Amino acid sequence: MPKFKTLALSSLSLAALLAAAPAAAQTFTISWWGFNGDKLQAIIVDPFQEICGCEVVFETGNNGDRLNRLQMRSGAGVDVIYLTDSFSQTGIEQGLFQPIDRAQIPNIDELYEMAQAPQGEFGPAYTIGRIGLVYDASQVNPPITSWSDLWREDLAGMISLPNITTTAGPMVVLKAGDHAGVSAYEDPDATFAAVAELVPNVVTNYNTGSEMINLFSTGEIAMSMTQDFTLAPLRAAVPTIEWAALEDGEIAVLNTLNIPVGSENVELAHQFINFVLSAEIQQQLAEEGVDAPVNTNVTLNEDQAAMWTYGEDNIARLQRIDYSLLNPARVQWLDLWNETFGM
Amino acid sequence: MSTRIHPVLIFFTVLIYIFLLGPLVIIFGAALSDTTYLTFPPQGLTLRWFENIWNISAFRRTIVTSLQMAFLGTFIALIIGIPAAYALNRHRVTLPASLSTLFVLPILVPEIVIGFSLLRSVTVEAGVPVWYALLIGHTLLVLPYVIRVVSASLASFDFSIEEAAISLGSPPAKTFFTIVLPNIRSGMIAAFILSFITSINDVSISLFLTGPGISTLPIQLLAHMEQFFDPTIASVSVVLMLLTILVMVIVERTLGLAIVAK
Amino acid sequence: MKRLAGWMLATPATLMIALLLVLPVAATIGMTFGAPGAGTWGVAQPYADFFTSGFRRRVLWRTFEVAGWVTVISLAGGLVTAYVVSRCPPRVKSILIVLAVFPLLTGVVVRSFAWLVLLGRQGMVNNVLQWSGVTDAPVAMLYTQGAVIVAMVYIFVPLMVLVLVGVLENIPEDLLQASSSLGAGPVASFLQVTLPLAVPGLIVGAVLVFTASFTSYATPHLLGGTRQMMMGTLLHQQAMVAFDWPGAAVVAAIMLVVIVATVLLMTRLARRMNPMTT
Repeated sequence: MPKFKTLALSSLSLAALLAAAPAAAQTFTISWWGFNGDKLQAIIVDPFQEICGCEVVFETGNNGDRLNRLQMRSGAGVDVIYLTDSFSQTGIEQGLFQPIDRAQIPNIDELYEMAQAPQGEFGPAYTIGRIGLVYDASQVNPPITSWSDLWREDLAGMISLPNITTTAGPMVVLKAGDHAGVSAYEDPDATFAAVAELVPNVVTNYNTGSEMINLFSTGEIAMSMTQDFTLAPLRAAVPTIEWAALEDGEIAVLNTLNIPVGSENVELAHQFINFVLSAEIQQQLAEEGVDAPVNTNVTLNEDQAAMWTYGEDNIARLQRIDYSLLNPARVQWLDLWNETFGM
Repeated sequence: MSTRIHPVLIFFTVLIYIFLLGPLVIIFGAALSDTTYLTFPPQGLTLRWFENIWNISAFRRTIVTSLQMAFLGTFIALIIGIPAAYALNRHRVTLPASLSTLFVLPILVPEIVIGFSLLRSVTVEAGVPVWYALLIGHTLLVLPYVIRVVSASLASFDFSIEEAAISLGSPPAKTFFTIVLPNIRSGMIAAFILSFITSINDVSISLFLTGPGISTLPIQLLAHMEQFFDPTIASVSVVLMLLTILVMVIVERTLGLAIVAK
Repeated sequence: MKRLAGWMLATPATLMIALLLVLPVAATIGMTFGAPGAGTWGVAQPYADFFTSGFRRRVLWRTFEVAGWVTVISLAGGLVTAYVVSRCPPRVKSILIVLAVFPLLTGVVVRSFAWLVLLGRQGMVNNVLQWSGVTDAPVAMLYTQGAVIVAMVYIFVPLMVLVLVGVLENIPEDLLQASSSLGAGPVASFLQVTLPLAVPGLIVGAVLVFTASFTSYATPHLLGGTRQMMMGTLLHQQAMVAFDWPGAAVVAAIMLVVIVATVLLMTRLARRMNPMTT
C-alpha cells in the first residue's frame, strides 16, 4: 500500500513538525482591545520587539471578556493588560494585579497628576478619554447637542448603543436616569422605562469599538455612543462623522495599564509601560489619532488637539463616574438591560 | 431515470443550487476587489488581500494552530479510536452495548456545552495549559467520527481471515498490523478526512478554549470580523475553500466522494 | 482472556470520553443545582431563575422558533432537491452531489459571513431590491430573526440533501416500477410509495438539522447580534461576558435536555414509522 503509507508517513511527520512549534522564542503577552491594530503594531509593537528581542503576542477582546479570562487563569498568561478604569478597578478588587514599582517607570513623573496613580499603588493611566455621542452629519439633522437627543423620534432604527457589559454601556443607563429625572442607582425601574423608550431607535448593540465602526461603514447605523478613541478610524471610514458637542457634558474615562500577578516577564512589563508613557510614543499616538496624550511634554497643534481632551482645563471639565456605586449596580442592570433589548 | 421529472421541480432544484453556490461565488469576487471595504461585483482586481493574510501575524499563528489541532487531534483520535472500533466489532459479544453509546456521546452533547465544560474542568480547575486543552477539545470532537467510520469499515471485514492467520502461528499484534489495518485503509482515510475537516472548521469548542496568543483560524476570523470589515476575511475564506476543493479532489481520486455522503 | 483483550483495546477511548467528556459535563450539570433551602424553589432555584426571567424565556422560545423554521424549510427544500438529484442520470447526479458537498465542507464562519455581506444595507440583496424598484430605501435585514433563519437554512440544506439522496436511493426501484405499472402516476407514486418509505430518513435529517441549529453559535452571533440572542449566544454571554457560570450552566443543561429528548423521541418515532420493519 505505498499510497496509504506515504499519506500516513507524511501526515505523521507534518504533525511532528507542527507539534514542535509551540516552544518558540521568549514571548511577551499583551492583553488589549485589538482596536487600531495596524497603528499600534507600527508605533508600539514593532519598536518594542526590537528593544526586548522578544516576540509580542496578544489576547484581544473587550474589557469584560479579557478580565474574565484573566481571572479564570488566576492572573496568569498575560504580562500587561490594557483596561478602562472601571474594569481595572474590578481587577484590583479581585486581586489580579500586582503593585507597580514606580522606580522602574521614570516616565510616570512626566504625566498629568490625574494619570500618575489613578488607582493607588496600581497601574498608571496612559490616556484620558471621554464618552460622548457620534453621528453621521449627512443623515442626522438637526445636529446632536444633548444626551436627550438619543430619544429623538427621527432616529428610529439608526442607533447602536454600547452593550451593558462594555465601559460605555452603563453610561446609557445613567443618562436614561437623567432623562427620566431619577437616580439610576435608586430607581432602576423608572430608569429602565426610559431605556425601553430607546428600543425603537436601536438596530443592535455593539461589544467592541471596531464592531461599531463596521456598523457605521456598512451603513447599518448613523449614530452611536462611544469613547473618543474611535473617532479617527470612524472618520476614515465615514468622513461625515461628527463628534457631538454636548451641552450637558461628556464623561471621563481613564485607560490604565496593569501587570497581572501571574506575569512571567515582570521586568519587561515595567519596561513596556515606561515605553508606552514616553513623550515620544505619546506624541505619535496622539498625532495618529490613536489615543489622547497624558504626558505633559507632548505638544499638539490646534488641528491635532481638536480631536482630544487636551490640556488640564479641558480634562477637569469632564464628568467623573463613581465606580464604587456603578460596579455593584452592573449585575442587576445586566438583567434589566437584557430584558429591555433582547426581547 | 425511469420517470420523467416535472419541470417545476427541476426549476426549483436549480434555484436551490443557485442559493447554495451563489454566496460562495460572491465571496470569491469580494476577495479580489481592489477596495478597502467588501463589495460585489469587485471593483478592480487585486491579490493584495491574499498577501494580507500572510502579513497579519495573528492569521499566520492561528493557521498553524488550526493545522496542529486538526492533524494531532485526528491522529490521537485514530490511535485510540481504531483499537476501540476493533474491540467493538471483534469482541462485540463480550463488551456491553452501552459502550458504543458512550462513544457517540461527543456527537450527542452540544459542542458548545462540551467547550464550556472543558473550560471549567480542564482549563480552570485542572490548570491544563491552553494549547493542550485545545488539543483535548479537538480530539474529543473528532473521536466519535473516527470510531464510527472505522467501525463501519470493520463491519464488512471478514474476521475469519485474521483467525486463520493467527491459527497459522502469526502473533495477534502482527496480524492486526499486516492483515486487519490494510483492509480497513479506506475507512481510515475517510475517518482522517472527515475528522480533519470537522476540526479545522470548529467554532463552538475552540470558542471557550483559546487563550492569549493561542487561537484557531475560525475564532481569529470572528475576531477579525469584529475589527475590520475588509476583503481579508473574504480572501481567507477563499483560501479555506480552495483547501476544501483540494481535499475533495484527493478524496475523489483515492476513494470516491460517496464516502463523505455517509 | 478474550474479554480482557477487548476491554484493554477499548480502554483509552473509554477513559478519554469518561474523564474528559462525561465528568466535565456532569460537573456542569451538577453546578446548576443551588443549595437546598436557598430561595422558594430549593435546589431547583437556578432553573426557577431562568424561567422567571422574561428575557431568558424569550431566548429559549426564539431558539425553538428559529430551529423549527430552519428544520421545516430545509426539509422542504432538501426533499425536492434530493428527489430530483436521485432521479438524474448518474453522471449529472455525481456532479450535483459534489456541488452539495462543497458548501458543507466550507466552514460555518465563512458561510455565515457570506450572508453578512449579502444582507447588509449596502449588500447585494438591498441593491437588487432597490434596482428593481421594490423598495426606495435600503431595508434593514441584518440583526433580524429572518436573517438568522435564512443563513441557517443555507448552512443546513446541503446536509439535508445528502441525507435524503441516500434515503431515496435506498428505496427499491422495483417498488416504484410496480406502483407505476399498477397505474399510479408520478405524484401518486411519490405520495404513496416514496414518501412513506422516506419518512425515517426525513426524521433523521430533521433531527440533525434541528439539533445543530438549536445549539449553533456562529450564525446567530454574526447575523442576529445582541437583539436576536439564541441559547448558544446566551451561553457564551453568561459564561464569558457576564461571568455568571451557574447561569451559563443552566443554559447548558437546558440545551442538553432538549437535544437528548429530541433525539430519543425522534429515533423512537423513526423506528415506529418505518414501514419496512412492521
